[in-house]
Amino acid sequence: MSNVLTICGSLRKNSYNAALARALPALAPEGMTFAAAPPFGTMPHYNHDDQDATGFPASVMAFADAIRAADAVVIVSPEYNWTIPGSLKNAIDWVSRMKDQPFRDKPVALQSASGALLGGSRMQYHLRQCLTGVDALLFGRPEVIVTFAPQKFDDKTLELKDQTTKDMIKQQLEGFGKFIKKVSGK
Amino acid sequence: MADKVNVITIVGSLRKGSYNAALARELPKFAPAGMSIAAAPSWEKFPIYNADDQNAAGFPADVTALSDAVRAADGVVFVTPEYNYGIPGGLKNAIDWVSRIKDQPFKDKPVAIQSATGGPMGGARMQYHMRQAMVFLNAYTFNTPEIFVGSAHTKFNDKLEFTDEAGINFIKQQLAGFEAMVRKITGK
Repeated sequence: MSNVLTICGSLRKNSYNAALARALPALAPEGMTFAAAPPFGTMPHYNHDDQDATGFPASVMAFADAIRAADAVVIVSPEYNWTIPGSLKNAIDWVSRMKDQPFRDKPVALQSASGALLGGSRMQYHLRQCLTGVDALLFGRPEVIVTFAPQKFDDKTLELKDQTTKDMIKQQLEGFGKFIKKVSGK
Repeated sequence: MADKVNVITIVGSLRKGSYNAALARELPKFAPAGMSIAAAPSWEKFPIYNADDQNAAGFPADVTALSDAVRAADGVVFVTPEYNYGIPGGLKNAIDWVSRIKDQPFKDKPVAIQSATGGPMGGARMQYHMRQAMVFLNAYTFNTPEIFVGSAHTKFNDKLEFTDEAGINFIKQQLAGFEAMVRKITGK
């Protein structure tokens, strides 16, 4: 049994990445459950002076607590300007400053969807570098890189309908389940 | 000499005592005679980017102000710390906002990058992420010399003036090279 937190890098309602995150429970191995992370859209920009003056905002605490409470994290994020969305990075920057830093030794898997042919991969490798900086335990392969997203989700319901993508996700989550057991002893 | 090239600095840290903010303030001292340097409008009040908000309410005034400043400048120098081996989220959020504007302001804009950190690597990991983002934005990113100020706490005095002789020479070289690049690209 493992409870996995999904962190979606887009705040847009009809985001393909949010839709991808919603598709995960149906594709997960038995015993793996998912919950969505608290929103980070209301976090202020990180400013060390503010942290010193008033501590961590409630939104940051809630986000960090959710990561701590989870056995593992799946980050599902678009790529903005060939790298990590600033909003998502700001959330990571905030929690990285906390004592009992929540990403430390946390198993993390990455997924991304984009409208074009590289599927957010440039963002994923930047995220791998940044998550190295917070000492997360990064799952390797299979990678979930959803290219040409508009062709793979239903126009109206945003349900993931592409079988190849579904199979890829199933494989990743199965592997991730084993990885979580191995690194957390759970 | 032709008109001065006007360059704006965009700082990646909001902290008052930031070494990067201090470095940006110092740049006019090290700039060649043909370059003027001023601070860009702050991105501090930008909301977190959400395409739904953009569609509903358009671009916030602060975003437009920064975009206008980038467009009006002949060149841009980013001076920013590295957070978690990458670009500070706040700064990247500012770039994300600006990138969505029609007549995207970084297109064909000469850009140089500088960074200061307390550690030995001086923000190098962040700079290569920034270079990648600048490719998408179609900026002209200046190559070498690169400015990595490592162990920053040893290189500024109590007034946060930059005192490192070797570093000052590199910065002078970078800004002189950057002026030449800006003139080549803008024909100014």
